[in-house]
Amino acid sequence: MKSISLYVDRGSWLNRLHPYTKLLYILTAIGIPLIGGKLWLFPFLIGCSLCLLISAKTLRQTLPLIGFSFTVIIVIFLIQGLFNHQNQQLLFSVGFLRFYKEGILYATRIGCNILNMLLSFAVFILTTSPQELVDELEKSGFSPKFGYIINSVFQILPQMMATKDTIMDAQRSRGLETEGNLMVRMKAFLPLISPVVMSALTNTRERSIALEVRGFGRKQKKTWLSDRPKHKEDRVIRVILIVLILATVVWRILSCR
Amino acid sequence: MKTIFKTKLNTATIVLIPACIGINYLGKLFASLLKLPLWLDSIGTCIGACLGGPIIGAICGAANNLIYGLTTGDNITLIYALTSLGIGFVVGILARLGFMTSFPKALICACGGGIAAVVISTPLNILFWGGTTGNFWGDALFAATQAAGMPVAVGSLLDELVVDVPDKLLTLIIVYLILKGLPKKLTALYDANAKIERLD
Amino acid sequence: MPIISIEHLKYKYPGTDRLVLDDISLSIEKGEFIGIIGKNGAGKSTLSQAIIGLVPQFYNGAYGGSVLVDGLRAESVPVGEMCEHVGLVFQNPFNQLSGARDTVYGEVAFGLQNLGVEREEMKNRIERVLKQLDIWQYRDRNPFDLSGGQMQRVAIAGILVMQPDVMILDEPTSQLDPQGTEEVFRVVDALTKTGITIIMIEQKLEKMADYCDRLVLMHEGKVVDFDTPERIFSREDLEKLGVQPPAFTRICRSLGWKQPDGTYPATLSATLRVFDEHKSDINWKEKLKSYQRSGHQQPDAQGSGTTPIANDAFQNLFRVRDLRFSYSKEAEIFDGLNLGLDDRATAIIGQNGAGKTTLVRLLKGLLKPVSGEIYFREQDISGKTVAMLASDIGYVFQNPDDQIFKYHVLDEVMFGPLNIGMDLSRARENAEKALELMGLRGKEEENPYDLEMSERKMVAIASVLAMDTDVIILDEPNIAQDYEGKKRIGTMIHELSKNGKLVIAILHDMDFVAEYFERVIVMAHGSILADGNADEVFCQDEVLEEAKLQKPYITQLYERLMIQ
Repeated sequence: MKSISLYVDRGSWLNRLHPYTKLLYILTAIGIPLIGGKLWLFPFLIGCSLCLLISAKTLRQTLPLIGFSFTVIIVIFLIQGLFNHQNQQLLFSVGFLRFYKEGILYATRIGCNILNMLLSFAVFILTTSPQELVDELEKSGFSPKFGYIINSVFQILPQMMATKDTIMDAQRSRGLETEGNLMVRMKAFLPLISPVVMSALTNTRERSIALEVRGFGRKQKKTWLSDRPKHKEDRVIRVILIVLILATVVWRILSCR
Repeated sequence: MKTIFKTKLNTATIVLIPACIGINYLGKLFASLLKLPLWLDSIGTCIGACLGGPIIGAICGAANNLIYGLTTGDNITLIYALTSLGIGFVVGILARLGFMTSFPKALICACGGGIAAVVISTPLNILFWGGTTGNFWGDALFAATQAAGMPVAVGSLLDELVVDVPDKLLTLIIVYLILKGLPKKLTALYDANAKIERLD
Repeated sequence: MPIISIEHLKYKYPGTDRLVLDDISLSIEKGEFIGIIGKNGAGKSTLSQAIIGLVPQFYNGAYGGSVLVDGLRAESVPVGEMCEHVGLVFQNPFNQLSGARDTVYGEVAFGLQNLGVEREEMKNRIERVLKQLDIWQYRDRNPFDLSGGQMQRVAIAGILVMQPDVMILDEPTSQLDPQGTEEVFRVVDALTKTGITIIMIEQKLEKMADYCDRLVLMHEGKVVDFDTPERIFSREDLEKLGVQPPAFTRICRSLGWKQPDGTYPATLSATLRVFDEHKSDINWKEKLKSYQRSGHQQPDAQGSGTTPIANDAFQNLFRVRDLRFSYSKEAEIFDGLNLGLDDRATAIIGQNGAGKTTLVRLLKGLLKPVSGEIYFREQDISGKTVAMLASDIGYVFQNPDDQIFKYHVLDEVMFGPLNIGMDLSRARENAEKALELMGLRGKEEENPYDLEMSERKMVAIASVLAMDTDVIILDEPNIAQDYEGKKRIGTMIHELSKNGKLVIAILHDMDFVAEYFERVIVMAHGSILADGNADEVFCQDEVLEEAKLQKPYITQLYERLMIQ
C-alpha cells in the first residue's frame, strides 16, 4: 500500500531524534531570519537545513519539493520584478519586460522565506514517523481523539483513493461521459463525488462502531506498548536551539539601539 | 446562541473528520481528472460543518491543511489552514442557522463561505507571497492590476475573489445536493440535540 | 443466572416509524453457542447491537424494555465499559480496523491500550491470541495489506484480546471468498472450545447447524422461535419466513428420512446416521438422483453428455484469442488465454486472485489487453471506449455504493438508459421492468440510502438491466443476499437467458452455481482449469482441489452416500 506520508526510515540520527526536538528546529529556522531581519540569515539557515537533509540521507526526496516551490517563486519574481509599486531602479530588461531592483529584492526575500520554510519542514517531515509523533503527543497529554484523527487519515486516505478508479469505471460502464466540453465534464462531477461521500459516511458509521466496541470512547488513561528510548542528543540540541533564538533576539535589540 | 456552537465530540464525529479530509482530497482529484478550472477541495470540510456544526467544520478545515502540509511537505497548504478553518466555521454557523435547507439559501451560505475564504486568504497572500495565489487566472488578474498601478491589497483581493467565490459556490451547491438525500439514520449520529425516546 | 436476559425489547431507528425490534424476550446461558437466523431486515443485526448497547446509545431513536448483560443495563452502561463484557465483530473486515495502526500487532493492541491494560499483560495476551488465530506471522504487516480472511481474523483478534464473556459475530464471512470464509470458520471452531458464550448471525445455515446449541428465528422484528437447530430447520413454514433450511435437511425432507425424535437432520454427520437406518430403502438412489436433478433447472438433455463443450456448437458472442495481460511487469495474469462465450448463462468460479474479475473487466473494455484480441460479435473491441460499449455490455460492480448517487430509486435506475440515448418514456419503461424483476416494485420513490445493503445491490443490478444490453456481467451478485434475494437473482438470470441474453457471473456460492448456470468455468492462476456444465465440472476432484473450491453440499452428500 502506498503511503501518503513522505517519511522514510533511513536509520539516521535524525530518525532517532525526538519529534519535539525537530519541531523546535522548525521554529528556530523560521524564527531567526524573521527576528534577525537580515537577508543573509536566510541562505545561512537554508544551508543548515540542506546539511541536515544530506546527513539524514533524504536529499533525493527533498528535490521534488524544491522543484514544486520553484514555479511559485518564479511567478513571484515575474510579478514583483515587473510591477512592484516601489520599483524605481531598473536592474535589467528582457525584450520589452523591464525588471526593477526593488521588486527583485522583495521577491528574493519572499522566495528565500518560502525555501527556508520548505526545507526546515522537510527536515521534520522526511525523518519523523507520523505514528511516532502522535504517540508522543498523546503521551504528553494531547487528546487521543485528535491523535486518532491524524493517524487515521494516513490509513484511510489511501483506501479512499483506491475507490477512485472503481467509481470511475462503474459510472462509465453506465455510459457516463467524462470527456468533452466543460459542461459535460461539470455534469460528470456529481456522479463521481456522490458515491465517495456516501460510502465514506456509511463506512464512518461502521468504523465508529468498531472503535466504540474497542473502548475508544472511554475516559481512562491509556497504556502504551513501549517507551521511546531516551537520547541525550535531544537535550543538547534543544538547549543549543533555544540559545540560538535568544541570541538572535538579544542581537536584534542591541543592533536597534 | 448556545445551540449554534453546540458540539458533540463523540466517536462518530471524531471518525467523521478523517472521512471529510478524504472527501476533500478526492474532490480535488476528480476536479483535476475532469480538468475542471476549479479546486473543489473543500467539499468534505463543508459536509463536516453542515453535519457537525461550526466547531467540527473548523477542525475539519484546519486538520485538513495541517495534515497535508505536514506530510506532503507542501507548506503552502499549511499556511492556508487558517482559511480552511474559517470556511468550515462560517459554513457551520450558517448551516446551523438554517441556510442549507433550500437551494437559494444554500447559495447565500456559499457566498458566506467564499467571503470568509477571501477575507482570510488575502492578508496571508500579501504577507507570504506578496499578493499572488498560485492560481493561473487569478494571478494573471493580479499582474494586470499591479501593472495598472492599483494597490497590492486591492489586486490581491480581486485575485482571491475570482478564484474563491466561484469555487465555494459550486462546492456548496454540490454539498447541498448530496446532503439533501442523506438518510436520518446517518445524520442522527452527528445531531447534537438527538435524544433517546422511551417506548414504555 | 443467565448471562444475557432481554425483556420486552422494542426499538425504532430515528426518523422511522417501524419497530425493528418488537417486544423481544430472550435469555441466554453462559457458554452457549446461539445462532440468530432470519431474512434480511428481520432485525438480527439490530438485536446484536442492542446487546452491547450501541442500540440505543450510538444510534439514538426510540427504545423500550431492557437488556441485561452480566447484570449491567446495556441501555445506560457506556459502550466503552460494556466492551469488556461483550465483543462485536461484523461483516466488513476493512471497516473494523481502527484505521490508526500500521501493524497487525499495534492494531490488536488498540483496544487494550484504551482499556488501560498493563504493558506486560498486554504483550502476553496479544501473543497468545495472534498465535491462537494463526496470524502471528503477520504481526509486522500493515493490516490493510492483508486479504479479507486475514483481515477479518485480525478484527476477531482485536476483540478477543479484550477477553469478553460474550462474543457476537454478525455475518463475519458474508464478504469473504471461500478461502477467507474457511479461515474464519476455523477460528470459530477454535472459539467453541474455549467455552466463551457466542452469538452468531450467519446466512450459511449448514455451518450454523454444526455450531449452534440453539437458534433464534427472527421475522419482522419478532422472535418466532428459539430452539435446537433440528427443530427449527424442520419447521414447515421456514421458507415462508424467508429462510431456506440447510441442504442436508432439504434432501432428507424430500426423501422422508426423519430422526428418531421426528425432526430432519441438519448436518452431514446426522444425515449419514439417518442414512444407516434407511439403507434398506432400495429406491433411495433414484429418489436422490431425481432430487439432485430437480435442483438443476437447466435442460439436462444436451449437457449431460461426456463430450467436452465444443465452442463451435454454439454461436459465439465473445471470442478471446491468445490474450495476455498483466498489471505490472513481474506478475502476468493471463498468458495466452483462449475462450469463446455463447449465450448460455455462464458462471466463473475460482479463488480471489484467479483472474476472474480481470477477465470480465477485459471483456467490458475497462482494461486493455497487452496482446491478443477480444472479439465481440466478431468485432475487435480494442478500438472501442467503455462508453461505446455501454449499450452492448452491462457490468454490475460488486459494491453498489460505488455507483449509487441519486435520491430516488427510479432516477438511479434511469441514469444508465438515458446516458446511452434512450428516450425518456422507453427509459422509464425499462427501469420499471427491471425494478419489477429485482423485486423493488413500490420502492421507486424511496431513497436508495434508506434501503438495506441487499436491496441497494438489487438497485445496482436493476440500473444495469434497464440499459437492456445483450450481455450482463455480474460480479458476485450474491453478497449480502438472503434466501429470497438469491432466488430472485436466480430467476433474473433465467429470465435474461431465456430472452437470449448472455449472463456472465463471478460467484463463490457453489450450490447457487449448480442450480442456475448452464456453463461453469473454473479458473486458477489466470488459466481455465475446467469448462462445462455443473455436473461435469463438480465431479472433477483434482480440478476443484487445484482451484481450492468446495463442491456443492448436495454433491458432497451424494458422493458420501455412494461410498457407503
